Amino acid sequence: MASKMLWATRAASYLRISVVHRGFSTVLKDLKYADSHEWVKVNGTAATIGITDHAQDHLGDVVYVELPEVGASVKQGDSFGAVESVKATSDVNSPVSGKVVEVNEELSNSPALVNSSPYKDGWIIKVEMNDSGELKNLMDSEEYSKFCEEEDSKH
Amino acid sequence: MRGPVKLEVWKMGFVNYLDALKLQEKLVSDRKLCRIPDTLLSLQHPPTYTLGKRRTDHNLLIPASELKSIGAELHYTQRGGDITFHGPHQAILYPIISLREIGLGARNYVEKLESTMIELSSLYGVKACAGQKGETGVWVGERKIGAIGVRISHGITSHGLAFNIDPDLKYFKHIVPCGITDKEVTSLRRETSTVLPTEEVIHEQLISCFARLFGYNTVVWKENPSLSSDHEEIE
Repeated sequence: MASKMLWATRAASYLRISVVHRGFSTVLKDLKYADSHEWVKVNGTAATIGITDHAQDHLGDVVYVELPEVGASVKQGDSFGAVESVKATSDVNSPVSGKVVEVNEELSNSPALVNSSPYKDGWIIKVEMNDSGELKNLMDSEEYSKFCEEEDSKH
Repeated sequence: MRGPVKLEVWKMGFVNYLDALKLQEKLVSDRKLCRIPDTLLSLQHPPTYTLGKRRTDHNLLIPASELKSIGAELHYTQRGGDITFHGPHQAILYPIISLREIGLGARNYVEKLESTMIELSSLYGVKACAGQKGETGVWVGERKIGAIGVRISHGITSHGLAFNIDPDLKYFKHIVPCGITDKEVTSLRRETSTVLPTEEVIHEQLISCFARLFGYNTVVWKENPSLSSDHEEIE
């Protein structure tokens, strides 16, 4: 766990953002979050999407990532692919609508990148958004941290 | 803290694999829309080999064309996990439950499914345990007694677990079970010296272990439910 904190601190100073520590799960400040635990990094109309540290921790070791085709359409809240861990396939949903312009082929060889680097090397798809207005439906880092806390206290 | 939590159990007897799959798809959709409570299907399948999302059919050791001659079907599914066999005298549970409502992730969910089978085994004096890393399932020493393969879609589960009461273990010789070579498959019959009660009793015990481990305080039983599941409105 100490190594996770160290990673998070290093990542924070590299990315020059402040990191909100929530137990052992890291939440990054300038991303947006869906309640199904995906994050999106927005740059104009370009969006990079992955799953959060909380999600990868709750999944276990990822052994397989099912990626969509480049050119496929995605819709906010709908599934675009899946990850497999501990004999469970879990759908991954898109936080935004648009067209897939790139997928992270590295994940076919190294699916564990989703666990070790969920916000950086473990990114899953890049999307050209068609409706930036949808971003208001997502949570910011503080709301997402609180959301995770509430979810984890249910059991 | 959660309020009263209800589990509806469908005791289904023998069900063809595809029929069970179609029913699960409908129930997942209903559960997502909160039309039904958490539901558990308890059943057995005729001899059936199934593959998961990764389609690891290199682990099927006989040609697919020969399956009919041994009385078995083959189905490709969207669940996690490798190839496995389902057949008579193997207890199957398919929980259709909302993980989001109980705040469970895939890893914790699967651990609880393992614990369900471990607890059941202990009722018969069998010391089972969860697998090593990467070998999800339930083991007695180096022998596998219970398998798991799950799908989670919008936080709702389908597929589930298969516990070997006394299936014909010869069927497992035609596959590399769960993609793990050099490990045997076993059954409750093989591992215990206790006289086994009827399978119906063992199914009910498995369901009780599940309900207790997942914290359900109300269990509603539905005998001989219809596969077409025309549900009355549930408040």
